Amino acid sequence: MTDKTRILKLKIAAAKSRRNVLRMIKASGHGHVGGALSAIDLVTALYFDKMKIDPSDPGKPDRDRFLLSAGHKCLAQYSVMAQRGYMDQSVLDTYGSFKACIPGHPDMHKLPGVEANTGALGHGMSIAAGMAMSAKLDKEDFCVYAVTGDGELPEGSNWEAAAAAGKFGLDNLTVFVDNNGLQISGKVTDVMSMEDIKDKFRAFGWAVAEIDGNDMEQIVQVLDRLPLQKGKPNMILCHTVKAKGLSIGEGKAGYHFWNAKPEELAAADRELEEQIEKLTKELEA
Amino acid sequence: MTGEFIDPRKEFGKTVTELAKDNEDIVVFSADSGKSSGFGDFIEKYPERYYECGIMEQGVVGLAAGMATAGKIPVFCAIAPFVTCRPYEMVRNDMGYMRQNVKIVGRNCGFTYSDLGATHQSLDDFGLMRLIPGMVVLAPQDPAEIRQGVKAMIDYQGPVYMRIGNPKIPVLFEEKPFEIGKGTVLREGTDLTLITTGSVTGAAIEAAEVMEREGVSVELIGMPTVCPVDEKLVKASAAKTKKVLTVEEHYLDGGLGTIITEVLSGMSDVFVRRHGVPKLYATTGSYEQLLDYYKLDAKGIAGVIREVLA
Ligand SMILES: Cc1ncc(C[n+]2csc(CCOP(=O)(O)OP(=O)(O)O)c2C)c(N)n1
Ligand SMILES: [Mg+2]
Repeated sequence: MTDKTRILKLKIAAAKSRRNVLRMIKASGHGHVGGALSAIDLVTALYFDKMKIDPSDPGKPDRDRFLLSAGHKCLAQYSVMAQRGYMDQSVLDTYGSFKACIPGHPDMHKLPGVEANTGALGHGMSIAAGMAMSAKLDKEDFCVYAVTGDGELPEGSNWEAAAAAGKFGLDNLTVFVDNNGLQISGKVTDVMSMEDIKDKFRAFGWAVAEIDGNDMEQIVQVLDRLPLQKGKPNMILCHTVKAKGLSIGEGKAGYHFWNAKPEELAAADRELEEQIEKLTKELEA
Repeated sequence: MTGEFIDPRKEFGKTVTELAKDNEDIVVFSADSGKSSGFGDFIEKYPERYYECGIMEQGVVGLAAGMATAGKIPVFCAIAPFVTCRPYEMVRNDMGYMRQNVKIVGRNCGFTYSDLGATHQSLDDFGLMRLIPGMVVLAPQDPAEIRQGVKAMIDYQGPVYMRIGNPKIPVLFEEKPFEIGKGTVLREGTDLTLITTGSVTGAAIEAAEVMEREGVSVELIGMPTVCPVDEKLVKASAAKTKKVLTVEEHYLDGGLGTIITEVLSGMSDVFVRRHGVPKLYATTGSYEQLLDYYKLDAKGIAGVIREVLA
């Protein structure tokens, strides 16, 4: 596969993931769309291009692990997992329904393949680091990938995890900070700035990189470079746009949580459908 | 009941903002939670007394306790588990042990974040907070009680936890001063004492009405202070009816029901039953679905009353 084909295929998968997000929003009428859509290119690339996983055997001991520290981004994970074959796509239509296996935050006991019960912010980095520590202890070569929000970073527990991962040299751990610049109350830099994020992680002994997290080419390039440096945990600062791919909501704090109108959903879905058609033509050319 | 429904979060934020006009010691903390807690107006009017800290609930409780040592009255409101479970030790030590005048308000309590799952549902906050020595635990039952309860909470010297819901709640009562530690008999009866608090009280009133039509006389007690609970009132009613049922949007364990059971443990001739949520990570769905499933709507509560009297 040429690099161009690889990227195009992933772009199509990401657009399909976005359509799946809309499908779930349609089912329940609402959802945390902003942070899901900023991270979804990365999540798609991890599941389709990077991770050693077997959707038919989600508990395989040597599988790579993926978890969302920002559990409210679960629409991104469900949409990709459905496309990757962890569940039937029709399960997406149960989003928001009674006793759904895809609730408003991920639950490992409801959906096989989900690795942690996140939703309270600031837990994922420690859990992911613990998973990476067990790989080191057992001399297993699986890797752990976690996504945090940028607004999430002030939780002190993140920095406890950062210290531990640095001390234990977890180069099998990669944390992606979804730096979409927004949280519920507005701009992250106004609410509680954690700049310079890269310097902070470096100070804890991490290797860091910085990419446009909505650019598939840059995502793939950085994933190919992991681990960035032997013996150090990896932090990838992903500059993204909140609600990316949803024209009416892109870059708007108000689309953290979306109460969607049917006509808005239909328009957004049409846009993605056209995008997929265009990309498919490019791929076939 | 007037048939009117009001957003509890707005009512709460509005009342704090009104009180802040004459009480310059009131300061408000936010952990990316201010606007959804009804503080939009406060932010406009008193920006110098509004502290947006971002998502760091543990840090906020410490900051608030520190400000309280210098006479400020910090109010911190966010999603209930994130101001109770998350910073528990800070609440216990910095607010409780240090006896600081901090007011913590857990919003979207109980099942209100029904579809967001167990990380966001709050079914253990009464239990956690009541174990902290000196902590007052309030759960106002209607908009008027929120307004009056907030006033009482600010006037009171010491740590307070208040729990409020999220969907609009019915207007149930006339406005009257809120007395911390006092319950009220909402309706007199002889067959059974039903003790309710917070968000379920509207449904409890309806359930009592349903039972009345079936010829059952329910004595309904509203208990907006969960801790310290109104022991005198509970014992007097229990001595009369001999049957007590508690109802709350909280685990069966640790909350109002546990507290009432403790109060009545010396009265060997009184039957007590607790009604609430089994101590499990509850399922998800719409708020109405969960209230129905866990029998916390009027129909469900009436069914439990029938069981107790059967
Ligand atoms: C401990 C905790 N506090 C508060 C919340 C409520 N909450 C959910 S999402 C969110 C904002 C998150 O912002 P960010 O991390 O930037 O996420 P994104 O922009 O990617 O959606 C908040 C405050 C929570 N889920 N957990
Ligand atoms: Mg963000």
